[in-house]
Amino acid sequence: MIDVPALATALDLLFGSFSPWLFVIPGLLIGLVFGAIPGLQVSMAMALFLPLTFSMDFIQSIMFLTSIFTGGVYGGGVTAILMNIPGSSSSVATAFDGYPMACKGQQNQALGLSLGASVIGAFIGYAALFLLIQPLAVVVLKLGPLEMVLVIAWGLTLIATLSEKSVAKGLLAGMLGLVLSQVGMSSTGVLRATFGSSYLLDGVQVVPAMIGIFAASELLRIRERQTLSTTEDIPSIAFGPIIRAMFSTFRYPSVLLRGSGIGVLIGAVPGVGSSVANLVAYGEARRTSRRPEDFGTGIPEGVIAAESANSSSEGGSMTALLALGIPGGAATAVLMAAFSYHNIVGGPSLIRDQGDLVYAIILGNIVQVLLLGIVGLLVLRILGMVIKVPLRYLIPSVLALCAWGGFGVAGTIAGPLTVAVFACLGWLMRRHNYPVAATVIALLLGGMAEGEMVRSLQISGGHLGAYLLERPISMLLFALMLLSIGAAALKALRINRRSQPSDTQGR
Amino acid sequence: MSYRLAPSHAIFLAIVLAFTVAMNHSAITAKFSLNNLIILVPASVIAVILIIVILLSGSDSDTPPEGGMRKMLGDLLLLALFCAFCSLMFVIGFDVATFFFVWFGIVLCGERSLWKPPAFALVFAVLATTAFGALFPFPMKTLVL
Repeated sequence: MIDVPALATALDLLFGSFSPWLFVIPGLLIGLVFGAIPGLQVSMAMALFLPLTFSMDFIQSIMFLTSIFTGGVYGGGVTAILMNIPGSSSSVATAFDGYPMACKGQQNQALGLSLGASVIGAFIGYAALFLLIQPLAVVVLKLGPLEMVLVIAWGLTLIATLSEKSVAKGLLAGMLGLVLSQVGMSSTGVLRATFGSSYLLDGVQVVPAMIGIFAASELLRIRERQTLSTTEDIPSIAFGPIIRAMFSTFRYPSVLLRGSGIGVLIGAVPGVGSSVANLVAYGEARRTSRRPEDFGTGIPEGVIAAESANSSSEGGSMTALLALGIPGGAATAVLMAAFSYHNIVGGPSLIRDQGDLVYAIILGNIVQVLLLGIVGLLVLRILGMVIKVPLRYLIPSVLALCAWGGFGVAGTIAGPLTVAVFACLGWLMRRHNYPVAATVIALLLGGMAEGEMVRSLQISGGHLGAYLLERPISMLLFALMLLSIGAAALKALRINRRSQPSDTQGR
Repeated sequence: MSYRLAPSHAIFLAIVLAFTVAMNHSAITAKFSLNNLIILVPASVIAVILIIVILLSGSDSDTPPEGGMRKMLGDLLLLALFCAFCSLMFVIGFDVATFFFVWFGIVLCGERSLWKPPAFALVFAVLATTAFGALFPFPMKTLVL
């Protein structure tokens, strides 16, 4: 179940020197701050700091980026509890009971419970990944090029159809990403669609594109707010009660385990992630509770369920990235870009050939989660104040950093220009509810899909249909993909039908 | 049932359509073979179908974008300023471009004070140019620093 030699090498990689840990605490702090500021997403922070990782070695860069990820997921919960302002979509359910607890003067208890549940939830998520990665590798290694194409197509379908209300908009965002991925040299060596620019020979630069579409476009959206909070008073924070409350998380083992389990499962599905996990876990905790009517009035179970689920979903989302090479969401898409920069390709070959790196990433994250418990505790008060930052100063500063980041990746004007073009595209897409993550993930996976598709064509001798019928796994994946599209279309139809009578009444 | 499609939405769909057509034209001209077009053509066909679907269902189901005309104009101004900043970094220097972008950006975002924006922009530009200049391995054009 566990590859012991790879594990030993991983331990040596991680603990042989201090270098992998050098940027973990700064990463956690960056994640906590970005997570706590509503509007600034964790993926935005990861994209913004990605160029800085290019001078680091692989493990150091992944540890830095995942620490931003880990910190960010927890950071959103702090402002949700103290001010009823979820820092990110993954903390929406935390506010349901966290804020009422703070209103009752139990803010320290709520913060302690949320920190405890986050640490334990994330720990469970990565522990599950640690135990399952090898058995998963055995299955994944049986996948051929056609299966990989179908896995990519299915993943993209899920990302495009599950994240937004309109299936057509989600799918169009994905298709746009695929078309964009075809700029430059093809996998068979044909030069196409460079439009006379030498900067496009290698295709669209993914990292500046990510910075533009995730970070710059989102900043424009929150431009009109003056500060993030209008509340003057931040409830007082005391460390003693927070630490006591942290340990009291263990008094709710069933809520904690159920929330973490839901988080791992939901996080592993591409396109869903922590935003859905915390709401589903909260709903499930309420449904199975003996006192469902108390949920929403400020009870510990609500906070624990939401926080354990959003944190454990991080381990789940890493499963798809490491085992299949498919990023399940925006944050793991940034991680995949970091993988590519270091010539590491996620998926079956990574687990087979570089198991030590996989174990190092997982173990590093487990330790990181424990560090979050300490760092999170120390910066709670600062996080409460962070939403007082005037946005009119923050937005132009971060936008300037986006352009600098683009230059840092490309080293030419192509970097900042790509950031600008994708900021415009992202602004238009967000304005009309198109999921930008679907475009970026398709842009990342398009080249890989083309390569695998060409290989499938060569193996099948050009008879792809007959080849598909010979492979049961391919047929199953194809059926799953069709089922996903059908289910999403039906769901959208049902939502439209339900909203129509109310519209008519409204008129 | 009235037909409503926001102009910015129509512009987005037109951009996607134009880009898809241009990409196909370029790829087909480069080499008309299955291997070269295996992803591009199916993705483009699906994209065109989806654009038609969105246009056809663009009536009452098209949710109006958040904010009014004022917000949109403000966003567009900041976006234009950002595009100008990205294009001019290599012309007027990273330091000067950053200083003016941050200054005007703060004013566009609603700061009323006359002296705070340039003061903040100056400190920010100096810090960013010094820090990134030391960090990046590429030559970087600067005018003052």
